Amino acid sequence: MTITRLWLTDYRNHREVDLALDPGVTLLLGPNGWGKTNLLEAVAWLSRGSSFRGAPTEALVRQGAERAVVRAEVDDGGRPILLEAELSPTGRNRIQVNRQRVTRLRDLLGHFRTTVFAPDDLALVKGSPGERRTWIDDLLVDLHPRNHGLRAEVERVLRQRNALLKQARGRLTDDVAATLDVWDAKLVEAGEALAAARTEALAALEPLAAAVSDRLTDGRSTLTATLVAEWATEGLAAALHRVRDDDLRRGMTTVGPQRDDVRLTLDGLPARTHASQGEQRSSALALRLAGHRLVAERTGSTPVVLLDDVFSELDRERTRALVSLVPDAQVVVTAASVLPDEVRFDAVMDLAGLGAGPGTGVGAGAGT
Amino acid sequence: MYADAVQAVIDELGRLPGIGPKSAQRLAFHLMKLPSEDTARLTAAIDEMKARVRFCDRCFNVAEAELCPVCADDRRDASVLCVVEEPRDVVAVERTGEFGGRYHVLGGAISPIEGIGPDQLRVRELLARLDDEGVAEVILATNPNIEGEATAMYLARLLDPLGIEVTKIASGLPVGGDLEYADELTLGRALEGRRKLAGG
Repeated sequence: MTITRLWLTDYRNHREVDLALDPGVTLLLGPNGWGKTNLLEAVAWLSRGSSFRGAPTEALVRQGAERAVVRAEVDDGGRPILLEAELSPTGRNRIQVNRQRVTRLRDLLGHFRTTVFAPDDLALVKGSPGERRTWIDDLLVDLHPRNHGLRAEVERVLRQRNALLKQARGRLTDDVAATLDVWDAKLVEAGEALAAARTEALAALEPLAAAVSDRLTDGRSTLTATLVAEWATEGLAAALHRVRDDDLRRGMTTVGPQRDDVRLTLDGLPARTHASQGEQRSSALALRLAGHRLVAERTGSTPVVLLDDVFSELDRERTRALVSLVPDAQVVVTAASVLPDEVRFDAVMDLAGLGAGPGTGVGAGAGT
Repeated sequence: MYADAVQAVIDELGRLPGIGPKSAQRLAFHLMKLPSEDTARLTAAIDEMKARVRFCDRCFNVAEAELCPVCADDRRDASVLCVVEEPRDVVAVERTGEFGGRYHVLGGAISPIEGIGPDQLRVRELLARLDDEGVAEVILATNPNIEGEATAMYLARLLDPLGIEVTKIASGLPVGGDLEYADELTLGRALEGRRKLAGG
């Protein structure tokens, strides 16, 4: 799958953008602060319905503008798809697929997929369990849009259960117990389904991650990723029952998929604590790459790869390995300066050469 | 921004469900342009509704007397009770013409986020009716969302020891639609609730 054209209006610092994109590897050049990452963020928005930087909608609309518009023409195996989103900080976002209005986010997902590599990917290895849950759940949505519903259901049931726990103020009356039973049953249903999907995806990722990390580290180390769920052996129903008093006292749900983690090991040792910074960076890269390959394999269509300033963090060896590991994908790379010749580009777009700059926008047409 | 009197109308309209700030503004300016007799008719209709409409003593549907039209109709089967969230759901089920029993309107669904538990719903009233009216079957027709399903599950567990048949309406595909356009969730539910047509 490739993105052939991108139009932006009032997106972040970009007033008007009209870019034609090469199906191969494109280098987006420009000094810091010129909005290179913003361009990648806009492209990724159309694949996930949110900012990969976790920014709220009001941050995506140019200062002084009422709404931002992101449009892209995508080619999926010869089938053209027009994706349009009007982002409004006050009202609802309007999304259209092939000029048909879609009212649910789920109906946008699955038309266009991206794999984003960003400098803060390191958090995937070094950060809190929440980073790894977000990573695996995002991957699940890429693998199948229905997982978006599953994820939303778990979040909703948890909000309801936690609200009930807070209202109970630590006292388990018969009424509270009866209602809590219902939310427990709902959480078990959705939570176990989510955990099963996570486990299945991680198992499928393992050989891919091993192959990729071989290439990134010259076969020196073996990376594994497994789901750690405190409740796995007893089952979620029994675990919720066991911690019920504790949950009541603390007014929150202390066991379940919202507390699980993905355990990453490098040669059998925890990657978070026992690996060097370089190894951690390679591991994060390997996980993203493995996810990219799994999505390509399962959906039959290769996601567009967006590399945000990652080469500044990687040595030459890894840089070369990274690009060689996404051979069939359209790749868009951002960098502040011309890169060493490890990477061959099919197109170079200089934001400065296009008349862009902070607070302006990229002009018409495209560079090749 | 506007004269206080105009802003007050915009604010009040904006409080209504489904009306955003823009729509509230448009409606307010429309109302301002109407002749006085038209606006008088509107306010009179609202006042009249508030004065005359009440909840049915038995099922809590909207009514203009002690009993709503359904409960007042002797031909309705008292042994089958259809439990719904809101009065508008009664209207929806009535429109099918498929149901000859009575209703019970809960007044919402269990949702701790909104501070709604079984006590805030008409659950106790439902239990009282089961004996009084000799109910043999309860049909749960709450909304097919998380809160509605939780409410149905709660009621099913509550009613289970009482020896009354409890059923839940099926969720499935819209009639006249195409299978290929159904979303996976709905289609999955429809598969789950499939019915046997032939064979052992």
